[in-house]
Amino acid sequence: MKKSLVAPQIWHPEEVSEAWSLLKRFGKAARVLAGGTAVQLDWAAGAPVPEHWIDLNRLDDLRGVTELADGGIWIGALTSLSALRHGALIGKKLPMLCDAVGRVGSAGIRNLATLGGNVASGSGCIIPALLALDAEVELFTAKGLVRRNLRALLSSSLTPMEGVVLVAIVVPARLPAKTCFEKMGLRRAFTPSVINAAAGLWFDGAGNVVKARLAIGGGITPPQRLSAAEHSLIGIPLSALDWTSLKRDMLGEMRVPSDAFRSAEYRRNVAANAIIAGLGGGVALDAVAGKASAHCFASIPAFVPVPYSEVEVSRAAMSERWRMRPDVTAKVEGAFTYLTDIRKPDMLVGRVLRAGYPHARILGIDTSEAEALPGVHAVVTHRDVKGLNGYGIVIPDQPAFCADKVRYVGDAVAAIAAESEEIAERALALIRVDYEVLPIVDDAERALAPDAPLVHESGNLLADLGLERGKVDEAFARAAHIVEDVYVTPRQMHAFMETEGGYAEPTPEGGLLVCVAGQHGYRDRMQLARILDVDEECIRIVSSPSGGAFGGKDELTVQPALALLALKAGRPVRLQLDRWESVLAGTKRQPMRIRMRTACDAEGYLIAQEVDAIADGGAYASLGASVVETALEHVTGAYRIPNVRSRGRLAYTNNGFGGAFRGFGCNEMLFAVESQIGRLAEKAGLDPVSFRVRNLRQPGDMGYLGQVVAPSDRGRETLAAAAASDLWARERGVSADGRKVIGVGLAVALQGSGLGSAIGDSGAARLSLAADGKIEAAFGAEEIGQGVLALIQESVARVLGCERDDVRPVIGDTAKTVDSGSTTASRMTYVVWRSASETGPELSAKLLAAAAKEMGKQSEELAIGAGGIYDARRNVPDVPLLSFAALAQSLGEAERPSAECGFAFPISHGTVEGNARFLHCHSAVLARVAVDRVTGMVEVLDLDQHTAAGPVMDVANYSGQIEGGGVQGLGFTLTEDTLIEGGTFTSRNFDSYMVPMIADAPANMRVFAMEELDAGDPYGPRGVGELGISAVSPAVAAAVADAVGIWVVEAPFSPEKILIRTGGMSAPAE
Amino acid sequence: MTVVSMTVNGKSVSADVEARTLLVHYIREALGLTGTHVGCDTSQCGACVVHVNGRAVKSCAMLAGQAEGAEVVTVEGLARDGELHPVQKAFREHHGLQCGFCTPGMIMTAVDMIRRKPQLDEQTVRDELEGNICRCTGYHNIVKAILAASEEMR
Repeated sequence: MKKSLVAPQIWHPEEVSEAWSLLKRFGKAARVLAGGTAVQLDWAAGAPVPEHWIDLNRLDDLRGVTELADGGIWIGALTSLSALRHGALIGKKLPMLCDAVGRVGSAGIRNLATLGGNVASGSGCIIPALLALDAEVELFTAKGLVRRNLRALLSSSLTPMEGVVLVAIVVPARLPAKTCFEKMGLRRAFTPSVINAAAGLWFDGAGNVVKARLAIGGGITPPQRLSAAEHSLIGIPLSALDWTSLKRDMLGEMRVPSDAFRSAEYRRNVAANAIIAGLGGGVALDAVAGKASAHCFASIPAFVPVPYSEVEVSRAAMSERWRMRPDVTAKVEGAFTYLTDIRKPDMLVGRVLRAGYPHARILGIDTSEAEALPGVHAVVTHRDVKGLNGYGIVIPDQPAFCADKVRYVGDAVAAIAAESEEIAERALALIRVDYEVLPIVDDAERALAPDAPLVHESGNLLADLGLERGKVDEAFARAAHIVEDVYVTPRQMHAFMETEGGYAEPTPEGGLLVCVAGQHGYRDRMQLARILDVDEECIRIVSSPSGGAFGGKDELTVQPALALLALKAGRPVRLQLDRWESVLAGTKRQPMRIRMRTACDAEGYLIAQEVDAIADGGAYASLGASVVETALEHVTGAYRIPNVRSRGRLAYTNNGFGGAFRGFGCNEMLFAVESQIGRLAEKAGLDPVSFRVRNLRQPGDMGYLGQVVAPSDRGRETLAAAAASDLWARERGVSADGRKVIGVGLAVALQGSGLGSAIGDSGAARLSLAADGKIEAAFGAEEIGQGVLALIQESVARVLGCERDDVRPVIGDTAKTVDSGSTTASRMTYVVWRSASETGPELSAKLLAAAAKEMGKQSEELAIGAGGIYDARRNVPDVPLLSFAALAQSLGEAERPSAECGFAFPISHGTVEGNARFLHCHSAVLARVAVDRVTGMVEVLDLDQHTAAGPVMDVANYSGQIEGGGVQGLGFTLTEDTLIEGGTFTSRNFDSYMVPMIADAPANMRVFAMEELDAGDPYGPRGVGELGISAVSPAVAAAVADAVGIWVVEAPFSPEKILIRTGGMSAPAE
Repeated sequence: MTVVSMTVNGKSVSADVEARTLLVHYIREALGLTGTHVGCDTSQCGACVVHVNGRAVKSCAMLAGQAEGAEVVTVEGLARDGELHPVQKAFREHHGLQCGFCTPGMIMTAVDMIRRKPQLDEQTVRDELEGNICRCTGYHNIVKAILAASEEMR
């Protein structure tokens, strides 16, 4: 996080000899700069900025690829990776090298990065490929130009490139006849290397191997040639090779380290598997991974005889309803202003001092030196907090600034406002905090042990919820089939692209303006007023737009620090967390461990469900207990289960802090529930559809908590649509090359919307005719990317009968809107639709009355249309008789019509135990996956979501939410987990936290919608912000099970465990 | 401090910055062109992609000083005489964004891709976009937008 303040000197040598002299002169104080792409990575990893940079880029002789007289290929060290990748000579002669180069970084990095840089780093991804080609290097040394073998250079005891300038890499003329290269990573592409493996084989005329080069390297694995295995290949043809013994030889000599992401055993095995697969193809793979067996259920599942009507939600299929969002033009122009973009002339820069310890008592904080530093205008600590030193959406136990102790590494202890980033950074280092380190608790279950260190004096048990219904034990006793397992879900990070930030400034009227992206500006204002001990009206919050939120900006983020700094400094202050600080300080999804026991009878009817979930809430409560509550609301998923016992506990630990994240407990619980359902179906001998058909909730059933729920239950219909999908008929089983096994899986979801019955939930809005003739639609809603602006325009335009462009949404500003509630919990679609329905007719009547008066007509003779007021009897398109603008001009400010509404979000009345939702939507999700038998990794080929959430208000945003939620769900399932060890984050940035890249997203994604509501259903469209993530994980789990017969219960799925279970590696010895 | 000069979106610019200043910070802070975004500042996310001498690069992976004298184009420099670039139009028409934070990097990567490979197919688009994170969309519409723009520009 902290960067060195050294200002380096940059040298630009014109000759290689000059570069060498500079290197010799400055020794370790110098660093060579070729492409420069590793510089910032090194800083982020904490490396100091060197005093001297020797920029080689003027050495044009070190660029290019040439065929030498002896047939060898000379590659200048400064040749960029993209020049290599797209160069004709390399593509023709060294396709394996071309492939290896293409697996480094991405195009935007390969355009800068050089082959020399990759090799000289000593750990570059390309090195194994060069070793397999038996490459040499040309160096400039004290003796001038020398040529050495790359392997000899790398294995020399000195730091390989110290004191020399790498001039070129030379691939000798005699090329191997057979080669292979593979980069194994943490995700499918643009990934840190788990391990790279390469091979080159040379044959004699009879097809016997005469020379072999097998190599590994990349990432944390030092480059290594596998000499013994190479030797074992000599003198025999590949057809006579014993692949099993080759694998044993390779494993025996690999020296490979472990890290928090992958074990050494896994790395060794996948490297060996890759070399074998690369040299021998599917046959060889069967020899080493022969235990993998497809487990497809025999046929396409049963047809469900339920009528349904669905439409594919896409531009192609719904072109007549496809509209562009109002903020899109500015976003593609680069002209869109985020709150973190704003700069003002007298603006100071803020920084926050974080605890750095996961648990420690604060003995003293001394800010005097920092305050004395010229250019520092404010230093704030807990001493500056006049009001409640705490925030939290449900329980305000998180200090704005810690006073007595810190409970996680990202806890805020102090903050600084200074004239520049450099001064702020220097001042931060001058704050002295004395700590007494305390024992930590870093596991939710251990946190509940009687002797566990206490995170809060109140005890580590934050919530203990649950219910029991029916005769659970009796039902289990008579069960025909029982499945029991423990499901684990990850500490997923929101990873919004715009990190937390913004600015605050005192207003001339003595108030405070705080501009920080959030998810409920009015609640942010309430929490901030409580901290500052001022009236809410003194604070204006601007909380939109946002570069992504997903629940991670629901709680306060940097607002307390900014507010206190701006007030103390009396000037505008800006502050934005860098990515590492965002990882360190920001909220995360609470990891859950869900023990689940589910039973059915001999006919496949569910009879009992027992759930015991424990969640790691981290250091502070926020609304974590509500997440557990929501998880418990979904313990029976979309099914009827008469006998249920559920318990959910939330524990404080020193592991960061947990809170809201899209899905909010529902998708975690459904991963377990739907996996159990799939497994029970197998046991009962039923296909996944038939089993679900007989257990689904029926329309009119009460909700799980005994509450009345809204009509339009589409559980059966979405399932029927998924059952009839063409996806089942696509290729399944072992792929043609034997490397992959393909399976299809199904899962269904029932997802609630709104905050539930336990706490207040209300919506409000105001429509008015603005001076310029626009219909202003004011909502206390946030634009977090989901498209609420388009939703507002569509909803209001529909009710008034005008065009979307006639409507100007005004959102995210407490000075200009009314409190519509939080932009969370899939609730805003309903709020906007309902508000438009309530205020639209009133505004419409007022507009017509005003127009009638102006025009000397009766209201009944007029109607609203595009742009203004028309003759009600018109039967051809034309221009309005009176435009909205002309109408507005004719009226004084006080005469311009407006309409306001306020209402309670629909909840279920009556007494229920727990927090019950009234509105629900449905989905049935199909995933088709390929399990790689070389690596144990899962690739998702297809993802189809059949959804039912009422009318689609905006085609682009509906499909966008489902697709985006779907891929976020794939991240949850396959790659995403914020690693934390001993309360300290191992994941620091996007190089150690694996967000799905495009290669991880399925190439085929379809979204379907059932728009119709039951006759008499007055509740309109339901929000789909969370529906897209709800059932993705269990659909993927079922697809993996279909492919290889294994139900994976821990997300993200461990490739290592899958590889062991499919025979690609041995289980480690106990 | 060092004076670093270059051409950005056709205009000669010059600013006195520290030697360690990354190109992206030069563009955003010294020039005030905030269309180029920082999502990670470790070359992982691609929100900062700009063109340097005609090639798409992650501008956080480069020191400003390395771009001395270079021709730099940012997302703000794509439109001509108020008319959006075909790639910008396609992102708009195909809803190739949500929060929009990754969009400038996506668009700049796409423009470079189409220039180098006029006959784009879907697999190539997916391969070439490997280094740009979009956390909102699932990438689907981004691919459609780039294919449509490529078709349009043929």
